[in-house]
Amino acid sequence: MSDTAHLTALRAEVRTWLDANAPKGWREAYAGMTHAEFAQAQRDWFQTLVSGGYAIPHWPKEWPGGGRSLAEQKVIYEELAQADCPRLLLTFVSTYHAASTLMECGNAGQKARYLPRILEGETWCQGFSEPGAGSDLASLKCKAERVSRPGGEVYVINGQKVWSTMAQYADKCLLLVRTNSDGAKQAGITFLLMDMKAKGVTVKPINQIQGDQEFCEMFLDDVEVPVTERVGEENAGWAVAQATLSSERGLTLMELSYRMRGALQRVASLIRQNGRESDQGILRDFGQLVARVDSTCAIADQFLLNRMHGIERVGDASVVKNTYSRVLREYSLLGLRLGGLEEQTRNAITYGDLNTGNWMADFMNSYAWTIAGGSEEVQRNIVAERMLEMQREPKGWAA
Amino acid sequence: MIELGELRDAASKAFPADQLRPARDAAWQLAAEMGWLMMPVAEEAGGLGLGRDASATILCEMGRVLGTAPLIPALLTVQALGDASDLADQQGWIERACAGEYIAMNLDRATISLGAGDVLDATLPAIPDADMASHTLVFGPDFCALVPLDAPGVNVTERPLWDESRRLFDVTVSGHTIAPDMFLARGAAATAIGDRLRSGLVLTVAADSLGGAAACLDMTVEYLKTRRQFDRPLAMFQALKHRCADLKIELGAAEALFWSRAGDESATTTDIGAAKVLACDVFRKIAEEAIQLHGGIGLTDEHNCHLFMKRAMLNLQLGGDADVWRERAGRQAMAALV
Repeated sequence: MSDTAHLTALRAEVRTWLDANAPKGWREAYAGMTHAEFAQAQRDWFQTLVSGGYAIPHWPKEWPGGGRSLAEQKVIYEELAQADCPRLLLTFVSTYHAASTLMECGNAGQKARYLPRILEGETWCQGFSEPGAGSDLASLKCKAERVSRPGGEVYVINGQKVWSTMAQYADKCLLLVRTNSDGAKQAGITFLLMDMKAKGVTVKPINQIQGDQEFCEMFLDDVEVPVTERVGEENAGWAVAQATLSSERGLTLMELSYRMRGALQRVASLIRQNGRESDQGILRDFGQLVARVDSTCAIADQFLLNRMHGIERVGDASVVKNTYSRVLREYSLLGLRLGGLEEQTRNAITYGDLNTGNWMADFMNSYAWTIAGGSEEVQRNIVAERMLEMQREPKGWAA
Repeated sequence: MIELGELRDAASKAFPADQLRPARDAAWQLAAEMGWLMMPVAEEAGGLGLGRDASATILCEMGRVLGTAPLIPALLTVQALGDASDLADQQGWIERACAGEYIAMNLDRATISLGAGDVLDATLPAIPDADMASHTLVFGPDFCALVPLDAPGVNVTERPLWDESRRLFDVTVSGHTIAPDMFLARGAAATAIGDRLRSGLVLTVAADSLGGAAACLDMTVEYLKTRRQFDRPLAMFQALKHRCADLKIELGAAEALFWSRAGDESATTTDIGAAKVLACDVFRKIAEEAIQLHGGIGLTDEHNCHLFMKRAMLNLQLGGDADVWRERAGRQAMAALV
């Protein structure tokens, strides 16, 4: 689809702004950083984007930079990818998950309190998964009991959360807790907004295999959250969580696919460096990778174009996600193969980038997409059961 | 402007999904009546002037039903006639071809020698349905011409195929003088026609493959939903679900790439070739898995599984195989990423 005059103008405007404002040489700078410095660099870049009006294009139009159509959002993200800017990781949960949850399900007071703060840089994390509740999220056990206090009713929370991205820097948490253990497991879940500085919250960053500490464990011991910080009704949190999880549909994967296409340059350079431009086997494998990356961009584009026309079938998002995550793995594996022994030398990693050219790190990072956000296997179940309508297994199996 | 969706609907109505391998001659007649042969011809020349994505749409639907009529060569040769402004009686040729006179072409690399006095010696391998063609199009390095298949010195032999949904013939030509009024073009114009034929072949085989892949996956999933073992439908087993899901996902990516390029006239032949590799590969994988997932019945001649598998295997070879297109795609990307 070619741009209309309006989109062409927007594209030019974003490009000009990025030329002047995108951080130069950020890859080199990010490579030597501590994780805390990375978080600060992310805060700075977010504020720059807010001032430019490109940080929250998906918000309603009463917000500065908001009210952008999906087509406009797509243009902005394409340009961010094209300019190879740092991705916004630290504020991803706040601007998408938290904001969408508040806008769709929050009450007037919650919206007025939290949305402006998100724009000022307040960061959020997600407290969904637990050691015993991963793919089977609804089986979560983190317990909340209602208790009266002089200042009003509170939930007293005890339990453990895990895989909370950037929780070590978060101000607030989107928390799922169990308020009822009878009946269907989805029916006893409540959605709370928790202050990360509340007494009893302990956050421990997890050391990952590539040396990053992107996600954390969270221990909650008698943490008190006012009942007024509940989103939706008690025991109706599962539906709210669905709103949270569907807040971002397609833009990120399109942006990442375009970034991966831009990063094919790294593979080409490596082929040239190794003097393998005439190696038929390598050329074939590279040609196949290029086709796979292009097909990833094409399906991510198609998903967004369909959404612009109001078409979204159950399972479409799973097809895009599994395509991207698989091709990202293939991309890093070809890089590793070309890099040879050299790539087994441990070099400093660049936080927040999936296509760094540090091939072992890129390979390990690619699991973020086959495991996080609904594993590859869960997506396969969705495609099989909801798209292909293959019968579900009967429930109620017990060991 | 005719919408692709309308074309698709018309094609699936004319060729319903449950009637695989429709009888060839009737199918050909129907295709001509539907006006499909006019699609690639410019409106000024009496055609519909539709882009290559229209041809791809029809051929995708024909892939779905294991179509038997030679629409791949016919749509390409009618387009070549439209491009051949030097052809004597060009308009007459176009009209006859649009009305259903079948002009064939070879789908594999030919050996051609054009001597003094335009005397042709050639071997033209893999011509679909030569038995029903009046002429075949010969495209050499610097000429493009029609050869009547009933002329003296022209020998037509059918080659038995594993694929039972198609018929291929090998044609040899010895000492045949091409009459001046049979030349579509010479020199650069002929090269351009030849390039377009080759690129069109890649595109149409890819489209056929995507249709076949989708139909074969549908058939297999349907079977798993109804076939019961261990007191449950096979579709309930997660091991089988995940295999089907992976095929569906790979097909989705191949379709997205193909249609984005079919609709983009600036896509190079190599771009189309790379999309063809994904399309043919996923057709082959789906057809291969179809037999395995059907079990014993998939190995029987009466079941349709093998028809898809054999067509998938043939499609892999037509218009350049995966090795050829992957390498070219690699070279093209290397050149672009200096």
